[in-house]
Parts: sequence; structure tokens; C-alpha cells
Amino acid sequence: MIRGIWDRETVAELLIMALLPVGAVWLGLEGAAGLLRLAVFLAVAGAWHVMWMLARAQPPSLAGTVTALALAVLAPEELGPVALILSTSFGVVVAELAFGGWGRNVLNPATVALAFMGFGFPAAPWPDLPVQIGWAAVPALAIGMGTGIMAPGLVFGAALALGAGWLAGLPVAAVFPAVAGVLALLVADPVASASTRLGRWLNGLLYGALVSLFLALWTGAAPVQLAVSAALFVSLAAPLCDEIAITLWLKDRKRRHG
Amino acid sequence: MPGFWSKGLNVAQPESAGGTEPETVLTEEASLLASLAEDLRVEPLAAEGTVLAQGAPLLRLRNPAGTVLAAPMAGRVGHLELGPGHRLRRVTLFREPAAGRHRHVLPGDAAAGPLRELLKASGLWSAFRSRPFGRMPGPEDVPAAIFAMALDTRPGAPDPVRAVAGAEEAFARGLAALQCLASEQVFLCRAEGPARLPEPPGVRVVTARALHPWGLAGFQIHRHFPAAIGRPVWDIAAEDVAAIGELLETGMLRETRLVSVAGGALRDARLVRTQAWADLRGLAQGHLKPGRNVILSGSVLEGRESRWLLPRDRQATVALPADPRRRTHWFLRALKGASRPLPLIPTAAVEHALGGVVPAMPLLRALSAGDGEAAARLGALSLLEEDLALADYVTCAEPRLSGLLGGLLQRIEAEEAA
Repeated sequence: MIRGIWDRETVAELLIMALLPVGAVWLGLEGAAGLLRLAVFLAVAGAWHVMWMLARAQPPSLAGTVTALALAVLAPEELGPVALILSTSFGVVVAELAFGGWGRNVLNPATVALAFMGFGFPAAPWPDLPVQIGWAAVPALAIGMGTGIMAPGLVFGAALALGAGWLAGLPVAAVFPAVAGVLALLVADPVASASTRLGRWLNGLLYGALVSLFLALWTGAAPVQLAVSAALFVSLAAPLCDEIAITLWLKDRKRRHG
Repeated sequence: MPGFWSKGLNVAQPESAGGTEPETVLTEEASLLASLAEDLRVEPLAAEGTVLAQGAPLLRLRNPAGTVLAAPMAGRVGHLELGPGHRLRRVTLFREPAAGRHRHVLPGDAAAGPLRELLKASGLWSAFRSRPFGRMPGPEDVPAAIFAMALDTRPGAPDPVRAVAGAEEAFARGLAALQCLASEQVFLCRAEGPARLPEPPGVRVVTARALHPWGLAGFQIHRHFPAAIGRPVWDIAAEDVAAIGELLETGMLRETRLVSVAGGALRDARLVRTQAWADLRGLAQGHLKPGRNVILSGSVLEGRESRWLLPRDRQATVALPADPRRRTHWFLRALKGASRPLPLIPTAAVEHALGGVVPAMPLLRALSAGDGEAAARLGALSLLEEDLALADYVTCAEPRLSGLLGGLLQRIEAEEAA
């Protein structure tokens, strides 16, 4: 009879709202150049969304904005227009729209686009994120967790694993802006991360553990490159985390109820 | 305030009308309408025009064989329409208070066999609902567990403890009778806090916060005693337990049930004691706001449009009708949605809507994909359509998750029967 509000676009709107601190701080630091960069990514992602709506009757999603913001903040600098448009299109079309739009995708489109840029154009330098982005990610994650669109287990799991890495003497503080920014922009995406309670903890722990591992073993990697690579692997492992969580849950129920 | 970690949603409950006893209102007509899909095959025990006492046998069901539906009030059988194959379409009674109450013959001893026969012959058998699949239990079924629900958290639902008020002794007797029926355990679900109902020894008491959906039998069963094929679990409302107790004491059926009539199209919510199959339009009359309205039997979440109180329902909702969809430009409509439904996004809202005891998204994905095996593994056999009404409301899912679960259960049932 009556309908609630938690449909796909509400979640997309809340996601944009949660990421506003990051976006505002980044725009404040970058100025007009940043605005232009964001506008280019918005235009490319938006154009593909509208094209798929017209060709395949697939309603566009506001989540395209989140993808554009993540790409604007994290994409390598000095990419030519062709490389930029090509990799953005690859991420948005292959990782999101071809699966049926936001909500049906398996990987985060921005993560895929960034990985494509990293592999395809290795000469382009990764951006060096200012420390303010790291701190802006904290309220972003807090808003996300408060509204229930980001999973506390994931965020705290990541914090736990990174804290352990820091105690073990790894230079976590040096990569904090990139790691926190990627956590808010890519890893905490509700669609591409695990969806069970334990699975989310595993997901977060895995992100922190991978970042720590790369810090320890991957010499010469830029902080953003390192965090984005970790995000890609975590995104791929999310179904495995869910599967582990469900298997354990079923075992526990079998033990209790026979 | 609910605790930070407990899952569920706080939905509005009606303000209880002080300490006053709800008034008893019997409507002039009472009807049971059945659709062909329900396949309710009956043999009439009273012809049209007969005057029946309250509680007298009215229809004998063919399935489960030997069970009876009793007249909910003293009255004349006005209409009795049967479709092909003795399928019931409609039976209506007009009230005639002079006909009195029917007294059933009580068995001499309190053993399980005679008790089952008495419940079938008196019509109280239909107060049970068996899971998996949510049907009236078969004549020879023995439940592994019975859940007596003294908690109802649906928006606007009447307080079951209040419904039993004044019949606590009968409630205790009814619970004792349930213990004869169940092969393993009888559960009493009630709200947290001090006990307000008798809790005889041997009955396992489970408490829950008054958060929706914890007042639905499905989630309690899922948590404490999951139903499975070959291990059925029954549930029954607290007031019906008291009715069993009263039947065992006096031989007469309880005359009324506590029903709340609430909703946005009413000037004031009502709490009345009325008969089963009551005329909801009659109950709402004089309390309606001017304008159009829709009468639902059940809560606003899962209620079905009906003029008559449906057999299992204890509340009615008079809602404002949905606005007819305005026509907009095709481009604007395409931006909002298409023929293909929008997917569900895993958020805390979905977790809360499923009470936090089920891996919510895997279960809902299994339902959307029609994967019966995975859904059954995750606990779908303990659930019924009404249990997913809150998830439907919260997520605006299209097609409705409760409908998907209903279809899936039907399919599993057909596969089991084959």
C-alpha cells in the first residue's frame, strides 16, 4: 500500500551527500582546474548513462556523480583527453552499465577505470593527495555510517588492520590521505563491497591488510596507486568474504538448531 | 529507546485509550469471502436461512478433512454461495442475538487425541498456522513446536496482552493444552519487561523488544526454532490461546476478538472487541474523514483490501487511496524508472527490515533470482509473505519481495508434494 524511501536513488543521493566533505575540500584546494576536471568526468559518465537509457531503457543513476568525483580526485595527472575519455568510458560502461546499471554491478566502476589508467598509461604520474583529503574522508565515512549506507564493520575493520600495520612499524601515516580517501570513495561503496555483517568486517580487514602488505613489499609505488590496487583486489574478493560469512552462519545455525 | 545494536524499526503504535476497557461492537453482518485461488472446498452444515447460535458449526472443510468453520456470531445464514467443486465463494450471516451460544461437547480427559478432535470440531483448528508454507495444519500433523504470540509489532496493532485481559486463567489453560499438542516445545513470545501474562512451567518464554518485525511469528520462529519440511512449527495468537482455554472450560467459543481500526482516513483510531469476519465498513462508520478511502484488513504494510475482517487479522486500516499517477513526459519517466525494476542496494535499512537475524541481502537476492534452494538454506521456510512486508515497504522493491517469497514457497510445496 505505502512505499518507503530507501530505493536506489535515495541511496545514491545519500552517498553524494556523504562524500560532499571530500568533494568540497578537494575543490577548495584545486580551484578552477579541479572544477574543470570534475566537469569532464561528469560529462563523460553522464553521457554514457543517458546513452544507455535511450538505447537500453536503463534508468540512469545519480551514482554516476560519485564515480566522476572519485575519478577526478584519484585519476593520474597529465593524461591526455583521449586516454582520459577512453578509460572513464571503459570503467563506466564495462564495469557498471553492461551489468545493468548501478546496483547490479560487481565492481566499482571508478575502481575499474583507475586500474585501467594504471595499467594502460603507466607513465602518467599518480596524484599526490594533500593531507586535508584524508581528514575530509573521516566526516564522509561518519555520515555514511550514520545514514546506514556505509558499513561500520568495513570501516572499523580497515582501521584495525591499518592500526596493526602502523604498530608493526610500517609508514602508514605517510599514505594516510590516499588510503582514507580511497576507503571513502571506492571501498565503502555499498554495492561493490560485501553485504553480510561478518563479510564486511573481513572486507575491511582485507583492505587494511593489503595496504599494509603493499607498503611493506611494493617499493616505489605511489600512495594512491597502492590504495587503488588494494581497492581493486578487495572489490574482487567481496563475494568471497560474503561466502565465508554465510558458510560460518550456516554452520552456527546447524550447531544450534540441528 | 531501542538499543544501539538491536535491529528492527520502531513503528507507531496506537495510543492506548487510557485504562478503559475497549467497547464491544458486533456488526450486523459478517462475511467470509474466498477467492478461487484459495481453493477452500467446503460442505455446508447449515442451509441458507437457518438461524445458528454463536459457535455452531457452519461449514465443514474438505481439506484438512474433518475441520469445521464455526459461526462467528448468532445469526441467520443470509448468503451461501459455492462455486464449482464445492469451492466456497461467500458466506454471510445476519445477526440475530436471540439465537444464543452453541455449547460444544467436552472430552472427558485432557489427552491429545480428544483435544485435537475438539479443536477441529469447534473451528479453533483454523487459528493455527503451520510453517513451512503457512497453511492450516493437516488433520494428522503433529507440530514440533508451537509459538504463542503475545507480541504484535505491526503498525497500529492492538496489544495482545490487552486482548487477553480478564481471561488470564483461560490463557494459562490454553497454553497447557498446547503443550499436549506439541511434540517438543511450546514458546510464548512476549515484549521485554515484567510478565503480564501467566507463564506456566514447561513453556519457554522468549522476550523481544517491541520493534517491528520482532512481533511477527516468522522471525521468532527463525531465531528460536526454525521450521523445516518434516518438522512443522505452528503459531497462534495469544487471544486464540485464551479462546482454547475458554472452550475447554465452558464448551463455548470466545465471542469477540480485540481489533484496532486505525489509519490516515479516520478521524480517531478505535479499539473494539468485535466478532471474526466483522464488517469493517460498519466499524469505521462515523469515524471517517470526508473524502475517498480504502479499507484494508491487516496493517498498512501487508493489509489486503477487504470489506470484511479476514480470518487471521486483528486490525484494520482505513487508508487514503494512492494518488493516480500523473502523466509526465516520457524522458522524465525514463529517468526515474523503466520496465526493468531497479535493484536493491544493501544498506542498514534492509538489515533492520529483516530484524538482523538473516543475512538480508543474500536472502533477498536468492528470492529475486528465484533460487529456492539458497533461500530455504537461509531460512525462507520459517518465513511467510507477511514477514517481508516491512522489507517491501522500506526498499520499495519491485516486484514485491513478499510476492516473490509466496511464489517460491508455493513452488517448493508443489515440488515436495510431487
